[in-house]
Amino acid sequence: MGKKTCWGIIFVTIAINVVMLQWTVEAWLGREYEITLVYSGVAVVSAFIAFFTLLQWRKLEYKTGTEKKPDASGQSGETDQAV
Amino acid sequence: MSNDCPKERGRHGKKSKSDMVNLTGNIEQKDDMTLNRRAFLKTAAGASMALGLATVPFSLRAMVGLAEDDTEHVEIVQLDQLPRGESVTFNYPTENDPSILVHTNDGELVAYNSACTHLMCPVFYEKESETLLCPCHKGYFDLKSGHPIAGPPQRELPLIEVEVINGTVYATGRQYRHG
Repeated sequence: MGKKTCWGIIFVTIAINVVMLQWTVEAWLGREYEITLVYSGVAVVSAFIAFFTLLQWRKLEYKTGTEKKPDASGQSGETDQAV
Repeated sequence: MSNDCPKERGRHGKKSKSDMVNLTGNIEQKDDMTLNRRAFLKTAAGASMALGLATVPFSLRAMVGLAEDDTEHVEIVQLDQLPRGESVTFNYPTENDPSILVHTNDGELVAYNSACTHLMCPVFYEKESETLLCPCHKGYFDLKSGHPIAGPPQRELPLIEVEVINGTVYATGRQYRHG
């Protein structure tokens, strides 16, 4: 799974969770308790997916690179450390 | 081995080899260190998790609600004391839930919680137009379905299920979403 995929998954989970929060509140106000549990379950699963995707993205993002890149003087220098 | 303090050599330390730290002529360096692509994605993931976990209190409350049973039979009125075109108020399922039972001109019995879904004013039965009226802000509800037909209310009135047993009208249950 690449970094761009991680970005995509995290933004999809935001969209899902916004909708699920709205639907959960609506169902709860309507005393539709079974549906409330379903929507809430989907939201919690989506939150976990976002969390594990973030961990995966961090692993890829902060992985120390091996390729050299030229520094200001034109010589190859050290790779960029993670910020 | 270097004698530098680990903080000096860390990601944000002065001796870090990171491009971000070694930018020169950048008066907003501090912002660049904190407001960047990585921070944005971390915030986005945090927001997603917060939104997802915000649903948990509702599901916990729903579990409590599932355990509650509010389907007891409550006597409302004797049917012969409620002629067609008349209504009577009662409380169901608790004393804090005002309700209205209407014997329509067609001979049907319909009952709803009478707190308007706009701002909780009590609704009244209008015999001439066969509607339920909330006088506070002129909200009208359909008598047959309890759904709003005019005015500010957006949601239907909760439906009280009624049953006639030996000439007595009983409330037997409630539906929040119906029709």
